[in-house]
Amino acid sequence: MFAANGISKSFVGTHALKNVDIEIRPNEVVGLIGENGAGKSTLMRILAGTHRPDSGTLTLDGQPLRLRNARDAAGHGIGMVFQEQSLLLNMTVAENIYLGQEHQFTRFGILNWRAMNDASRRQLAKIGVDIDVTARASGLTFAARQMVELAKALTLEESVDRPLVILLDEPTSVLSASDIDVLFARVKSLKSRASFVFVSHRLEEVLRISDRVYTMKDGAVVAEHRSQDVTAPALHEIMVGRGLHTEHYKESKQSVPRSEVIVEASKLGVAGAFHDVSFKIHAGEIIGIAGVVGSGREEITRTIGGFLPQTEGALRIKDASVRFTSPEQAVRKSIGYIPRERRVEGLVMFLSVAENITLADLSCVMRGGAINYKEERKLAVDWIKKLRIKTPGPDAACRKLSGGNQQKVVLARWMTAGSQILILDHPTRGLDVGAKEEVYDLVRDLSAQGIAILLISDTLDETIGLSHRVLVMRDGEVTAEFDASRGNKPDQVELLREMV
Amino acid sequence: MKNSFDFRSMISNSWVQGAIPPALLAVLIIIVEIGSPGFLTGETLALLLSNTAVLFILATGVTFVILIGGIDLSIQAVASLASVILAQLLPSMGLLAFPVAIAAGLVFGILSGVVHVWLRVPSFVATLATGGVVAGMALWLANGRAITIEEGGRASTSWINATIVGTPVVVLIAIGVGLASYLGLRYSRFGRQSLAVGAGEPAAYAAGINVDRTKIVAFALSGTLAAIAGVVLAARLSSGSPSLANQLLLPAIAAVIVGGTAITGGLGGVGRTAVGALIISIVRIGMTFVGVNIFAENVVFGAVLIAAVAITIDRSKIAIIK
Repeated sequence: MFAANGISKSFVGTHALKNVDIEIRPNEVVGLIGENGAGKSTLMRILAGTHRPDSGTLTLDGQPLRLRNARDAAGHGIGMVFQEQSLLLNMTVAENIYLGQEHQFTRFGILNWRAMNDASRRQLAKIGVDIDVTARASGLTFAARQMVELAKALTLEESVDRPLVILLDEPTSVLSASDIDVLFARVKSLKSRASFVFVSHRLEEVLRISDRVYTMKDGAVVAEHRSQDVTAPALHEIMVGRGLHTEHYKESKQSVPRSEVIVEASKLGVAGAFHDVSFKIHAGEIIGIAGVVGSGREEITRTIGGFLPQTEGALRIKDASVRFTSPEQAVRKSIGYIPRERRVEGLVMFLSVAENITLADLSCVMRGGAINYKEERKLAVDWIKKLRIKTPGPDAACRKLSGGNQQKVVLARWMTAGSQILILDHPTRGLDVGAKEEVYDLVRDLSAQGIAILLISDTLDETIGLSHRVLVMRDGEVTAEFDASRGNKPDQVELLREMV
Repeated sequence: MKNSFDFRSMISNSWVQGAIPPALLAVLIIIVEIGSPGFLTGETLALLLSNTAVLFILATGVTFVILIGGIDLSIQAVASLASVILAQLLPSMGLLAFPVAIAAGLVFGILSGVVHVWLRVPSFVATLATGGVVAGMALWLANGRAITIEEGGRASTSWINATIVGTPVVVLIAIGVGLASYLGLRYSRFGRQSLAVGAGEPAAYAAGINVDRTKIVAFALSGTLAAIAGVVLAARLSSGSPSLANQLLLPAIAAVIVGGTAITGGLGGVGRTAVGALIISIVRIGMTFVGVNIFAENVVFGAVLIAAVAITIDRSKIAIIK
């Protein structure tokens, strides 16, 4: 039995895991569910040895286990099939399967390709798939790559004399329904020889394949069920964790949008990403887009932000037809993009708070053609006060700030630049509850000032709670639109039905 | 193990904060003073500064490129080409040869920038290649030989070798270039934007900064300053040659890094490069004193550059060094 007891892990400023206990028994498929940010991936990485816990222990068959890296874990028969597929696409299937273990096929430093290819075929035969082991991974479908990853994990059987534990991190997110059936059939047939941990946010799938299900929320395991004792809606409620506390999203501050149309997308599309998308955003309106990864909603924000030019349809910003080929053009049209990758795209971490605030528009602190450092400082101090940014001072480098305060600096920048349209791409990702509420407060204030806002978010709850209207997307198309004005918030289940 | 790592991170921190290079310079000056009292006064000081001037101008140009996170390996070729153009045109054009030679540097700087930005070629490859092209053109123009600036041409270059109130004009030129570059970096939109691009290009791009233009301007400045360094050198040596500046690339880049500008971009400036150039110059003099073979100088500069980068590079910023 493989068990984790009292595991805690925090990253700078956030508690990713709090005192988590789980156990994985022999010949069992354990499901692990939770919303994005609930801590599933962090827990998996700890089980796989790629992250080390701050406290808590792992035990294998009662013996304490200290994993320093993935190789350590592999030595104990713990293998992981990664969410972002980890195959090296420029290598052949066989090379991938035995990556890092080639020594068993080498003599005098020369690799015996035939032996490695034959061994790879044997591995693939274990799961009953027929894939050319000399083909490059780049030529395989996602489903086939997943099978290769599974075969790769199964090579551990030969070097470890105990049943394997195989961690499957969101394996179905890129698979079609029939591929999922194939994967599940393989997992079931391998159950006699290995245990599996299956991570997903698709509840029906988890219930179908798992014997037991752990539910995670905000870094903790909040429930454990036998699969036959529980239903998907019941799990969903536990996973989301509460009825709608409307005040969490400052709903009483939700103002009524104005009549002026600020953004109008008509039959907008980007080849291969989304298609035939039409919507309007009025002044002061917050439009949320709900959809799973790959639904095309991320690309819509990138198109309006100027990163990804549309290939079809029209985009109008305040009565001017536009087609942006760079964010610079979008910024000129008073669009501000608040990215999910705050540390990469949001802020220049090594520049100061003041310098980041004037990054999009220096002209307001330029006097006679030169930057006026006194004015710039004054402007920054004003914003620090107004938004209650916690910082040692306007000259502190942004990397020294916590996530919530960094987010406020990004907002201050776009306000300084006079943005009238804000794109919020997962605005509260990685923030703790208090910081989230502050961001919600600010978003409400901005909306009341007449700023048009496009929102995509990690949780449906947040999307519904903040927005005036919610568009639902699936496979690159808008499948439904819901009114979410104050007092008329739709139910998550209604949205989910249109999403998947 | 742990201790040496801490020591390194401490050094890299304070080095990058800019405290160590001036201290190092001060130590070097004291050593020279003790070893040879009075060396750093009067004529020998003027000579030292004049010798530093060309290196400093070259290094200032490449500072702009390093700040945006790139590198310019074409500067020595551009400087040499400018010297050749100057030497060839002086007899017929007189003083007008100067702007022509410098404009050539501007053109090739822009070319490097355009190749890097539009064709998405990494800057070290782009400038290695344009540097090759430029060096070839210099050889071609000069027919492979050094061109002596004859008596007639020297009338137009003598002002560079003059002194004003005891200060060599070359030093004044270097001070002028340094001051303009310093002010430009600190107070202009371009200066701020180049720091942002160097420190966090994706964020700068997302904030609406024209990253491509900023980069091309940095390369254009580098080329222009390289050409200025080339004509000053040609005037001092009364000769233009396709290999005139060949030994200057390594010391120039070493000066920038030793001065405390981060090789990864986004942090540093012209003041630091001035300190770095002086350090390199004094080290060079020190080597002559100690009796290091003049041909072995670049052995030392190479080692100094490696040491400076190894000590100062911020490994938390880059996971994989390619």
